[in-house]
This record gives sequence, C-alpha cells and structure tokens, in this order.
Amino acid sequence: MNGDFLALLPKTVIPQAGSNAPSVPPLHATTVFAFHCADGVIAGDHRATAGNIVFSDKTEKILELDSHSLMAIAGSPATAFEMGRMLQTSFEYYRRSQFQPMSLPAKIRALSQLLRNNLAGTIQGFGVVAPIFAGVEANDPSAKPQIYFYDPLGAQFEATNYAGSGSGSGSIKSVLSFLERWGQPKPAEMSVSQATVLANRLLMTAAEFDTATGGVHPEKKLFATIKLVAPAGIRSISVAEQEQFWKESMQ
Amino acid sequence: MTEEPYRWLEAIGNRREYISEQMKGATPVFAVSRPEGILMLGVGIGHSKVFEVYDRHGFAALGHPVDIEKLRQAAIEAAHVEGFNRSSKDVTLRRLISFALSTTLKSSFEQIFSPPFIVEAIFTELGETPAQDSLVRLHYDGHHHYETSGVLIAAADRKVEAEASAWLRDKLKPEDSLARVAGLCLALWQAMVDGRTLGEFRVPDSLPTTVSGKTVETALIDRRLPGPVQYRPLEIK
Repeated sequence: MNGDFLALLPKTVIPQAGSNAPSVPPLHATTVFAFHCADGVIAGDHRATAGNIVFSDKTEKILELDSHSLMAIAGSPATAFEMGRMLQTSFEYYRRSQFQPMSLPAKIRALSQLLRNNLAGTIQGFGVVAPIFAGVEANDPSAKPQIYFYDPLGAQFEATNYAGSGSGSGSIKSVLSFLERWGQPKPAEMSVSQATVLANRLLMTAAEFDTATGGVHPEKKLFATIKLVAPAGIRSISVAEQEQFWKESMQ
Repeated sequence: MTEEPYRWLEAIGNRREYISEQMKGATPVFAVSRPEGILMLGVGIGHSKVFEVYDRHGFAALGHPVDIEKLRQAAIEAAHVEGFNRSSKDVTLRRLISFALSTTLKSSFEQIFSPPFIVEAIFTELGETPAQDSLVRLHYDGHHHYETSGVLIAAADRKVEAEASAWLRDKLKPEDSLARVAGLCLALWQAMVDGRTLGEFRVPDSLPTTVSGKTVETALIDRRLPGPVQYRPLEIK
C-alpha cells in the first residue's frame, strides 16, 4: 500500500531551484479571504506585487486542490504555487491509488506539513506563505464546509466565521467582524448572490487603503476570483454571474 | 539450466503455458471510443477490473488480482511523477507504456526464476476527438499494440478476443447511446463467458444491464467534462 506521494518523490530526480539571492524585490501575492455564507465562499484579488511595483494583475490565487478543497495564497507566489501543485498531485494520487479521497483533516494537515517544511524560507523572510484552506469532506452530503488559516510556520486554526490573509486583509476582517455582529443579514446568512456582491465590495474597500490589493472594477467587468465550496464540490462563480449579481444589487 | 539457450527457450515456453493455464476463467474487459468519451467496462467483484490512472487515462485488466494491482500502482506512480515534474499534458500513454510498463512486464516475464505477471490489460487515453483517443492492448510479456478501430477487448484467449472485437465493431452504430454500447458489451461478455460461437450470436432484443452475483464496473473518460479529471464511474440504467 502506497498512497503517500511525498514518499514517492525522493525516488525520482526533481529539478532543484538555484540558491542565488535575487536582485529584485521578492514577489508577494496579496489579499485573499474566505467567509461562510449559505455554502462557504472564498475569494481573492488578482494582484501580485514586487516592492512598490505591480508585477501582475491577473494572478489566480485561489487554487483548486481537488474537487472538494481550495487553497488561497498570500505571500511568496513561487513557494505557494509549488505547495499548491504538490497538494493537487498528492490528493489525486492518494484518491486514485487508495480508492478513496483523502479525508479533510488529512488535507488540512498536509498543507500544514508543507508550511513546516518551508521553515528555512520563512526564517529568511523570503518565501513566506500564509495561506487559507477551505474544503468539505468528500462523499458526505451532510458535511459542512470548513475554513482554516495558517501561520507561516504551519500552525492551523479553524475560522468560525471568516479568515483573511495578505496586506489588505486587515480592512476586510474589520468589515466582516462588523457585519458578523450588526449586519442584516450577517454574512453567514447570505445567499450566494449576496455573498458574491459582498466579496467584491470587500475588495473594493481593501483597495482604498492598500495599494497592493488589486480591487475590482465592475464598470470594466473586472471582478474578484470567487469559488464556492459546497458538499457537492467546488463551483467557480463566473464573471458573467458576478456581473449579474452586481447589477441586481444596484437596483 | 539458463546457460543452455535451448533450456531457456523451453523455460519461456513453459511460462507461457503456465500463464495461459492461470488465465483460464478470467473474463474479458472492454474499451470503446465514443463521441462522449471512452467507455470502459468489466465484470468482477467490487473494484477489480476497471480503474482510473490519471486525469485522461484509464486501465482495465483481467488476470491475477495481485498482478493487476501491481500494474495499476506502477501506472499511477509513473503518471503522477511525470505529471508533477512536467505537466498533466505530458502524461501520455505512449510514454507510459513504452518507458514504464511494457519494459517492466517484459523483464518480469523473462526473469525465469521469479514469477511473471499474470495479467492481460487495456490502457486508454482520451483525446480531443474520438480519432485522437488512444487504446492500447498490453500483454503479460510486454508486447503491446495500438488499436485504431475504436474498439478494444482484452480476453484470456486471443482468438476469441479477435472474434469478439470484430463482432462488437460490426454491431456498434455511430448513433448508439452509451447505455446501448454498454449493453452490447455486456451481452458480448455473457456470450464469451458462456463459450458461444460468436459468428452465430445475435444481438438480444433486450440488452442486459446487470450480471447476477457480479458487479458490472463501467467508467467513462468523459470528453464533455471541463477537466482536469475526466474519468468518472458511469451508472448504466
């Protein structure tokens, strides 16, 4: 029995990255967040920065790890994307070789282990990743979606209501905290369309105070990346759907 | 013994006889390329005949369960390491078969002091169109061929296998639904198991969907799914 992809890799030669220090400021993927609504929403902007430079405004930072789990990345994209790819392969390898999907607690721990293994990069301050994980137990129609956030050393924390990471997450968490107490409806009670509109508004608010948050521009049809986690699996909310929800909210 | 070429040839011949004897009673597996994707079907007990290998790749086999499992694990490992080191598009059946699987089978078969794989297998790879699908028949000794007709059957007896493939090719029509294709495969499976003469076998009025006391395993590598995982179990009603 061999369902551990990490144990399989040392048997093969994997190209290693060079160790020379870069001459440019390190890249950072910025604001991502997740909050519970009717199903569980996760969202992020599209911006990656290098110092005060906008490196890319089309970065996909919400990675589908498998049909029932997502990872939202903030921090060093190079390390984070590699972690995402490692988890994608690990989860599918396990499911195929073992005839069953990996359990949700095991997936949550797998990300924790990768962060722990990135200790050297974290200590050097150059490869720090602070991700958010959202998932739901596969093959269990009654399972509830769960959100976890991590510290860069790998400690995992379950988010009861919401989680945020990256430079703009402070503003977003403040607004979500306010809405959890006094919102009508509260985010956890919102329909998918309401939660989608809220997610876009949160990013617009964060972009007001944080230059590293890309924000959204409905007038240019630029919206957030929004994916829903539900017992049936993951669903991406398309730009067309987001535009429709946005227009409905303005009426 | 192996110092003498004649003895070595004799030992190899004995192994063929041994494998042939061991394969008696093993029932066939099917792969059919359709517009919707590649349909795979086998009849066994639980998960024992038809398997997912990678995003666009399937595997079906008959033989000793342990050898099927060893071959399955080897294929899954090779595919995932390749997909991780390069990309999922670089996982191709041609490379899997040529560099990972057929060489292993051939070595195992010719190492006469260790047991051979008792397995007959089909590997499939979904293309963008049925014409681009790959169906590969892999034998216990590493010999393999690419089937271009869109219909591939693996059976213990090669003569029966060829007759059955011709029968199925003749009966399939472009407009057939997946349920009908699966029904034809299952009717043919029953006829092969019963040892009927396939030249005289007519399509039953009512196609079967089940086999008493057995599990019909059906999967579709679905061309219509957006991916990346396009393999899915299929329920035939």
